[in-house]
Amino acid sequence: MSRSVWKGPFVDAYVLKKAEVSREGGRNEVIKIWSRRSTILPQFVGLTFGVYNGRKHIPVMISEDMIGQKFGEYAPTRTYYGHAADKKAKRK
Amino acid sequence: MSDLICVAVIAGAFGVQGEVRVKSFTAQADAIADYGPLSDEDGDNHYDLSILRSIKNGLAVRLSGITTKEQADAMRGVKLFVPRARLPQLPDDEYYYSDLIGMAVLDSGGTELGHIKAVQNHGATDLLEVQCLDHSATVLLPFTRAVVPTVDLASRRVITDPPDGAFPDPK
Repeated sequence: MSRSVWKGPFVDAYVLKKAEVSREGGRNEVIKIWSRRSTILPQFVGLTFGVYNGRKHIPVMISEDMIGQKFGEYAPTRTYYGHAADKKAKRK
Repeated sequence: MSDLICVAVIAGAFGVQGEVRVKSFTAQADAIADYGPLSDEDGDNHYDLSILRSIKNGLAVRLSGITTKEQADAMRGVKLFVPRARLPQLPDDEYYYSDLIGMAVLDSGGTELGHIKAVQNHGATDLLEVQCLDHSATVLLPFTRAVVPTVDLASRRVITDPPDGAFPDPK
């Protein structure tokens, strides 16, 4: 069953606070968070969060199409490198 | 940067008519047929490849010169390579993982910080995994213009402006 709409999206309070401080400071920093369960909100767009995967913080730069997902979706807990082959990286 | 890039591995024979099961490593599995003849690790043997169909865990493929099941069985574990020069040119700000891996990472002051160990993408931006120079730890840097302003393919180095505290203090 999905979450009731009247409750609004779930976000841990400390994530909101850290994001607000970072936005006001305007510094080039990764906001370290452990809350993989928090929902990505529109006010996080443009910020870079370091989402904990159980071992280290994975940098996740928030873009508009990530709104509504959870932070944990972008920081997998298992490492798989695979082969480079013809895979491409795009600098954003 | 190696001149040969591994694009697939032969997982064994498929059927009894000399077809092989190939596990493709390319972004689009069937793209291995687009790069022309593939070679083995030494570059001595070349194989023309025609994809027959998609099967569980790979592709059913016919390789030139492989006509019997015994020959196909003997090919198990052989990695297939393509020369780097045969990969198509990319637009600005797009790079092959194989080009980026191994590049030196410098900060804006010219100090070497390490080298790129791997490139990862977990759904957000691409991430450069940097092996620190005098530390066993690896550091993940977002592959963005803000953090990685310069990528110099010719001199095999990237210049970064890492976020505060990204790199551990040297021992």
